[in-house]
Order: sequence, then structure tokens, then C-alpha cells
Amino acid sequence: MTKLFERPHSLIENFELLRPILAAHGPEILQTVREKAFQDFERVGIPTIRDEEFKYVSLRLLQDGKFAPAYGATVDRRQLETAVLGNLDAITVVFVNGEFAPELSSAHALPKGVFVGTLENGFLAHEATILEHLGKHANLTGKLGTTNDERFVSLNTAFLGEGAFVYVPKGVVLEKPVQVIFLSRADHGPFVAYPRVLIVLEQAAQAKVIETYVGLDGVYFTNAVTEAVLGKDANLEHTKVQVETDDSVHIANLSTTQEGGSVYTSNNVSFGSRIARNDVNVSLIGEFTETWLNGVTVGKGDQVVDNHTRIDHAKPNCNSFEVYKSILADRATGVFNGKIFVYEDAQKTDAKQTNQGLLLSPNATFNTKPQLEIFADDVKCTHGATVGQLRDDALFYLRARGIPRQQAQAILVYAFAAEVLEKITVKDARTALEAILFSKIGETEDLPEAIEA
Amino acid sequence: MLVIKNLHARVEEKPILRGIDLTVNAGEVHAIMGPNGSGKSTLASIIAGKDEYEVTEGSVTLDGEDILELDPEERAFAGIFLAFQYPVEIPGVTNTYFLRAALNNIRKHRNLPELSMTEFMRHIKSKVEMMELDNSLLSRAVNEGFSGGEKKRNEIFQMAVLEPKLAVLDETDSGLDIDALKIVANGVNALRGPERGIVVVTHYQRLLNYIVPDFVHVLMDGRIVKSGGRELALELEEKGYGFIEGEVAAKA
Repeated sequence: MTKLFERPHSLIENFELLRPILAAHGPEILQTVREKAFQDFERVGIPTIRDEEFKYVSLRLLQDGKFAPAYGATVDRRQLETAVLGNLDAITVVFVNGEFAPELSSAHALPKGVFVGTLENGFLAHEATILEHLGKHANLTGKLGTTNDERFVSLNTAFLGEGAFVYVPKGVVLEKPVQVIFLSRADHGPFVAYPRVLIVLEQAAQAKVIETYVGLDGVYFTNAVTEAVLGKDANLEHTKVQVETDDSVHIANLSTTQEGGSVYTSNNVSFGSRIARNDVNVSLIGEFTETWLNGVTVGKGDQVVDNHTRIDHAKPNCNSFEVYKSILADRATGVFNGKIFVYEDAQKTDAKQTNQGLLLSPNATFNTKPQLEIFADDVKCTHGATVGQLRDDALFYLRARGIPRQQAQAILVYAFAAEVLEKITVKDARTALEAILFSKIGETEDLPEAIEA
Repeated sequence: MLVIKNLHARVEEKPILRGIDLTVNAGEVHAIMGPNGSGKSTLASIIAGKDEYEVTEGSVTLDGEDILELDPEERAFAGIFLAFQYPVEIPGVTNTYFLRAALNNIRKHRNLPELSMTEFMRHIKSKVEMMELDNSLLSRAVNEGFSGGEKKRNEIFQMAVLEPKLAVLDETDSGLDIDALKIVANGVNALRGPERGIVVVTHYQRLLNYIVPDFVHVLMDGRIVKSGGRELALELEEKGYGFIEGEVAAKA
């Protein structure tokens, strides 16, 4: 592979610096994994827009910027609580600039056998389980149509240090939601952090996990990887929210594996950052699974929000339903790429993909590409992509009843997003996100007035 | 109250209204009748502020204020209400949320305090009953999946809640069965009063059996060609629009 940029950049340089510190985290074998991942990343480097999978996302910022290894920052409880989703009634694990912050995390009595905490502590009690899954799901090797372009997974793995681990044993229903918060505050110059989350639900276990990325200040790069595995008949509602600062780069990979009979719901909410890229990959390795991928993004100013989703229907009788919506204002760019692979074995697959872009400005753009590859003959697969503006007749109807233009627009934008936000069953999280959506729409250059929720 | 003078309007290059004069005083109910394509709905839409029409000449004032320069929401604040011929479906926005937002904006402009959800629900209770609206319609998305009759009842319900000064009903009778027609008419009649002007735009005289107008105007080819009392509507019912065409031709 040719490298466009030959000179070393800060992400590579950091590795030498951090190697001894990283080696102290977790069992020894991890260091071998890190070294290999680092080589994998170094070989391909930062993608350019000539790489098909990054066609619309210029990552020059990463190449040119000096991103130091994440450093500590002080965030007190009050700041946490006033931050986005910082005050949910949940079992909470908080990281600040990539470092575990025990003083901000909440201790709860957990059902027997449940673990919610850092990977590091997880290794003490569940080393075998973690090693069985860590790095095994965020991996496309051997899958159909893969370009094996997992460089940001490699980069994250190379710097694997502190992370979060959620474990729910067989048959246990965790009623209280779990929240993992990654706060970023770059008040001493740009940094890069590598959040890592592993969620393991054993057979028939149930949980709701909210993964929140919040930026408080400054320029930084979040390179996150989350792996989730659902055992037979397990049920996971997984909400990922990113409200990073306007100057940040957020690149996240979420890879989920579902065994037979399991139900997985991913709610992917992307409101922040200068450049956001989400890869959501779900692999169905058992029969009779159900998968819901819901996504909503809001881009304004010069934001770029790129969502790539991939569902591997490897087994028969599985259903997947996907709805992704993008709201784009000002000069924002939205990207959606939705891959669905139906393997030869996967008869009776039912896959439905919907993607909608709402443009609030003539200078906003949206690129959508459904990509269905079907190798079985008895399947039901549909996809639909639309790009549009707010409906004039609806706008007039609201205004004719006395609702001012800006408020009417905000109501209609909200209604567009509601279908996705309604899927979040953790009520205080949903309410908080609705409020952010309103204020975010209100702040755009097109719609200068916020409406009261 | 409403004074329309020599109103001309077109859509794209096509002239639709060619000199309308109409005065509606408080307390009066006016019916505007006419064949399809005569310009009835255009007139209703222009009063409400729909921007696809271009007014080329003439004026429309409400209590002396020129309304043609106002945005649709400002006309609503001034007290204008249009019951839509085709109420718009708005998925994702509940009927109560929508109507409370509308009412609170209008109340703000009338210097009245905004209503909380509880106060709002109390405020609309008798109106829900009057329009025989199923309570479930309140929590559903605006007009989404409503039957034709439910949509029209919902329009008159909104009118009852917003208490406009001038209400324009655009073919509110179209697509209604006789029971729904009676409910709608009852709703409108309950809102008749010395403070309020009502303009009923309709093709048929059927609705006027239930909402008895003080004045009837016949609109043809963009002009009001004949005005009279209630009996004019009955005459039209009996003889059809053809007889007026004959009269107009004879005068010319």
C-alpha cells in the first residue's frame, strides 16, 4: 500500500513514549496484542479521501495536529452533573481524558456475579472471559466483502490501557441502566484518548448500557472501540451518545456479536465534534436473532458526520431493522453507508434498512449509499434512502396556527428525529437528549431561536 | 372587520382572482359559493397567508390593519384562522403538543399567561366533548391516520380552542357524512357571536342548512358575480350555477 504521508505524525510518535506505561496495564499477553496492532496501524497509517471507506472525511487534522497522549484533568462532581447526560439514575463509570475517575463514578449494589467497572479491575476477576472476547469482535477477518480496513481499531488496540468492562452472567436481568461516561477536557493543548469498552452478556442476560462521550473543552481526538457480545437469548439495549466539542475528532468503532435468539438494540446518537465517524458492525452468528440499529445525527457549522453500518447475516432466520436519520444545517456534511451481507446459509433473513437525510440549508450535503449483498435466495431485504427538506405544507400549517417559523421548523426537525430517540427506553436519557436536540437545532445559523421543550 | 378591496391574485402567470370586494362585519356569517376552479380556495389561502399566490392588486385589511404584509403566524396572532380543506398530517408531533404551542403563542400576543399542560387539558375539555373527539386523537400525531371526518372535526376543534376573530372555513363540508357534518356545524354554530366573523367557503349548499349564513356570495372566474341572502344558496341548489352564468352573460 502506498503511503500518501510519509512523515511520522504524533499518533505514531506517542507509541514509543507510552510503551512502558501501557505494558503495565493488564496481563502480559496484552503487550503482544498491542505491538501487533501498532504494526498493523503503522503499515496503513491515517486514511485519506482516496480510501473508499473514508471518501468524504478528510482526516488531515489528525495528520497535521500534534496530539499528545491524554493527560489528567480535574472535573468535579458538579461539572459532571451539569454535563450532557451527567446526571442519570444509573450505575456509572466515569473516565476523564481516558483515565478512570473513581471519585466521579457511582458505587451500587450489583446483582450477584455482575461486574461494572474498569477493564483493569475486570482482569482480576474475569481474566479468561476478557481475553476470550477482547479484540475478537472488532474484527472483520474472514467476513464477506471486507476491505480489512480496521486501522482505527488497530490504533485503539495499540494504546489499550484503561477501559470499561460490563459483565452480566447467565440469566441475570440488570434492571438499572449502566452508564459509561468519557469526559474530555483539553485545557492544556490537543490530546488523543483511546477509550475501550467490552460488554459481555451471557446466556439470557439482560442489560441497558449507555455509553456517553462528552467534550467539555478544547481540541482532542477520541478513538474509541466498543465490543459487545450477546450470548444465547440475551438482550442488550445499547445507546451511544457523542456530544464532543466542536473542535474534536471522534472516531468510534462498535462491534457486536449476537448468538442465537438474542435481541440487540443500538441507538447511535451523534450530535457533536468537528469530524465524527461511527462504524457500527453487527455479526449474527446464531439463528432467530433480532437487531435494531437506530441512528440520529445532527450536523451544523462545518461538521462532518459519517456513519458506516454493517450487518453480517451469517445464519438463517434472523431479522434486522435499521433506521438512520441525519439532520444537516449550515455547511455540514453527512455520510451514510449501510452494508448488509446475507450469507449463503442465511435463508429466511428479513433485513430492512431506512436512511433519511434532512437538509436545513442549501449548503449542507448528504451522501448516502445502501450496500446490500445477498448470497441466499429465500430472503426479504429492503432498503430506502431519501434526502429532503422540511415540508412546506407542514410548515405553513403550523405557522397558520400561530407557531412562529423558527419554532415550527424546530418542531418538525424534532419530529423527524423522534422516531429514533423514541427507541431509547431509559427515560431520563431520552428526555435529556431531546433537550439537546432542541438547543442544537436552535443554535444553527438557519434557526437562531431555540424552543422550550 | 375584514375588508377586501379589488383583490387580484395569480399563481405563477395565471390570474385567479380578478377584483374581489368583500366586507365581513363582526357577528356575520358569509358563505362564498362557486363552481370548481372559481377561486374560492385561493381567496381562503390568501387570507391565511399562503405564499404560493401573488397579490397583484388590491388590499385585505382586518380591523383596518393591512394583513397582506404579515407572516402566517402574525395573521394568526391578529385573530385569523383557516380551517384547511386538506388538513396536513404531521408525523411525530402530537395533537396536544401542537395545539398547546399554537395557543400559547397566541396567548402571549394577547398578553395572557401561557398554559401548563394541566391547565391546557382543563381548557380544552369542553371543546373536545363538543366536537365529539375521541380522547385518543389528542395524543396521536397531528392528523396522522385520521379519517376524513376526524380531520375536519379536528380543524373546528382547533378553531374552538384558538378562538379567532375571523374564521375562514375552506370546504369544511367536503368528504363529510351527515353525522360528521352535523357535529362540525354544531361546533361552528357554537362559535357564532357578536365578536366574530365567519366565512364559509363551499361548493354545495348542504352545509348551509346547518350553518345558516347571513350573506351568500357567488364567486365565478375570480369575481363575486352575485350576492344575496340565504335564499340565494337555495336558488343555486335548485337551478345550479348555470343560471348565474346566464344572468352574468345577459348583463354583459
